[in-house]
Amino acid sequence: MFLALREMRRAKVRFGLLISAIGLLVLLILAQQALQNGLITSFIGAIERQSAPVLVYSVDGQRTFQGSIITPPLEKKILSTEGIGKSGRIGQGTFSVRLNDATDDSDAAIIGYTDPAVGAPDQLTSGWLPNGPGEGVGSDTDFSIGDRVKILGPGGPGQQTETIEVVGLADDAQLQVTPTLFVEWPDYLASVKSNNPDAGAVLPSAIGVAPVAGLDAATLAERINDSSPEADALPKQEAADQTPGVAEVKQSFQVIFLLFGLVVPLVTGLFFLIITLQKSASLILLRAIGASTGLLVRSLLFQVLLVIGGGLAIGIAFYTPLSQAQVGDIKLSFDVQAVITWSVILLVLGMLSALVAARRVLAVDPIEATTGEGGR
Amino acid sequence: MTETSPENDGSGATGTAAQANTPALEMEGVRKVYEVADEEVVALDHAELIVGSNEIIALVGPSGSGKTTLCSIAGGILSPTEGKVIVGGNDISGYSAKQLTEFRRDSVGFVFQTVNLIPFLTARENLLVVDEISGRDRKRANKRADQLLEELGLADRAGNLPSQLSGGQKQRVAIGRSLMNEPSLVLFDEPTSALDTKLGDQMVELIREEMKSRGTAAIIVTHDERITGYADRTVHITDGRLEA
Repeated sequence: MFLALREMRRAKVRFGLLISAIGLLVLLILAQQALQNGLITSFIGAIERQSAPVLVYSVDGQRTFQGSIITPPLEKKILSTEGIGKSGRIGQGTFSVRLNDATDDSDAAIIGYTDPAVGAPDQLTSGWLPNGPGEGVGSDTDFSIGDRVKILGPGGPGQQTETIEVVGLADDAQLQVTPTLFVEWPDYLASVKSNNPDAGAVLPSAIGVAPVAGLDAATLAERINDSSPEADALPKQEAADQTPGVAEVKQSFQVIFLLFGLVVPLVTGLFFLIITLQKSASLILLRAIGASTGLLVRSLLFQVLLVIGGGLAIGIAFYTPLSQAQVGDIKLSFDVQAVITWSVILLVLGMLSALVAARRVLAVDPIEATTGEGGR
Repeated sequence: MTETSPENDGSGATGTAAQANTPALEMEGVRKVYEVADEEVVALDHAELIVGSNEIIALVGPSGSGKTTLCSIAGGILSPTEGKVIVGGNDISGYSAKQLTEFRRDSVGFVFQTVNLIPFLTARENLLVVDEISGRDRKRANKRADQLLEELGLADRAGNLPSQLSGGQKQRVAIGRSLMNEPSLVLFDEPTSALDTKLGDQMVELIREEMKSRGTAAIIVTHDERITGYADRTVHITDGRLEA
């Protein structure tokens, strides 16, 4: 690796610029990845965070809490399905709220559950689950322990009747990029009533169910769907992934990732091809004095490895503080999986991109040292 | 492939008497034919040449006479179409491309006319690269490179890049590089073509000194008759045929 390192040392600016460019592209890729993850989590985090392994919507509810209404006959059919260990109602609504002493109104999603085992957050970052009326768990990017959230009636602050005190916090728990509160069913009913005093019976948006021991969530969901054509049961992760809009967001980002994924190897490949052409005289001389093609190709690939590795190090170094930021209501996070996956992808693509340059190296004929071709 | 270089104690003296008696190069009936547009072009025609173990030969001929082809075959850069090529006692005529690469790396030295130094390596590194590509002991290589640079009057230029050296200094570095692998034969292709008369004379004198002090054989390809005065023997080549 003597040659590779010496060449890089003597052409610091050239290689430094390439490493910086790769670093910038890596940063952009990881930042986009963080944005995608943050955006999707803000859309459906609450669905992933709630504890029910299976969510049952009404079939015409388009797989959203907002669109789904479980009628009593449907609820009865769902609950009669064999294999249900636990079940509970889940309701969701979006309300105008006022936080503590704020003078401005804002929106909050409130998710009510009858059984914390199938509807409450499965994990808290601090505090505890509600154990009394008027308590709730809030999404940790929006609330703090002790916050008081006033649900506003149709007439504004003057008609506020229900207040939720935040006693626990859960991360990645937003729904529809809205501050979200998980409350017990009576508080959810009270919230709906305070917002719409004329509301009749409040029906659940979905039924959360857990299978009996030995039965997996997918099988239970299938059984529920077989039991009623009006039921749309999905395992938790599927329910999150198939929420309208999620696939479209992912597809849009895939296109961006594909473009970035092509740019990195193209830049690397072109750079090393140009470098190889520029130093063809040196390569001819080295071949003439007995350097094997294998040694020269290894030297080239070692440089590619250092350049991509350096770019990854720079990109990840800048991504680390960036991933701790919050963009509006979207919380970003350091995604280890994304870092590892992109590192492997870019290293492999970088190596592959150098194959054109490697072919040039393999084609070097030492006879050109005697004919003066290499000197031209 | 067997190592053909004589053991060297670092003083430049050659090895055993047996090795000293083995010719550095023997060419027997060597032909090189190129196919050009369905026609055969004979670049070298039944060349017969023996170069003694510490003999310096001047190979003189006009352009296109086959000088470079002969040198390339002797140095393992080209394979002959016919005939036998023995360098330092080893018949390289049937060597594969890989064996020829190893042969060039271990057994011969080259000083080319135009391409001689790696621009991104210092003078010292241009010498060390010979050992780097063969994976030899680095400590010994460092010592040898420093010794060669000292002998060639380049000790104070060891850290300079080729772009910071004069034409004569570059040629001296190239000579140093050609001696790094302690070859039995060094091939010089027009070593003075880029130098003025005075520098050219100094260069050939230096080549003679370095070769003789090591007992290393050399072929100097040239079309400059003045150089023949520094050689032990002059061989003329015309249209691929050698004339003693």
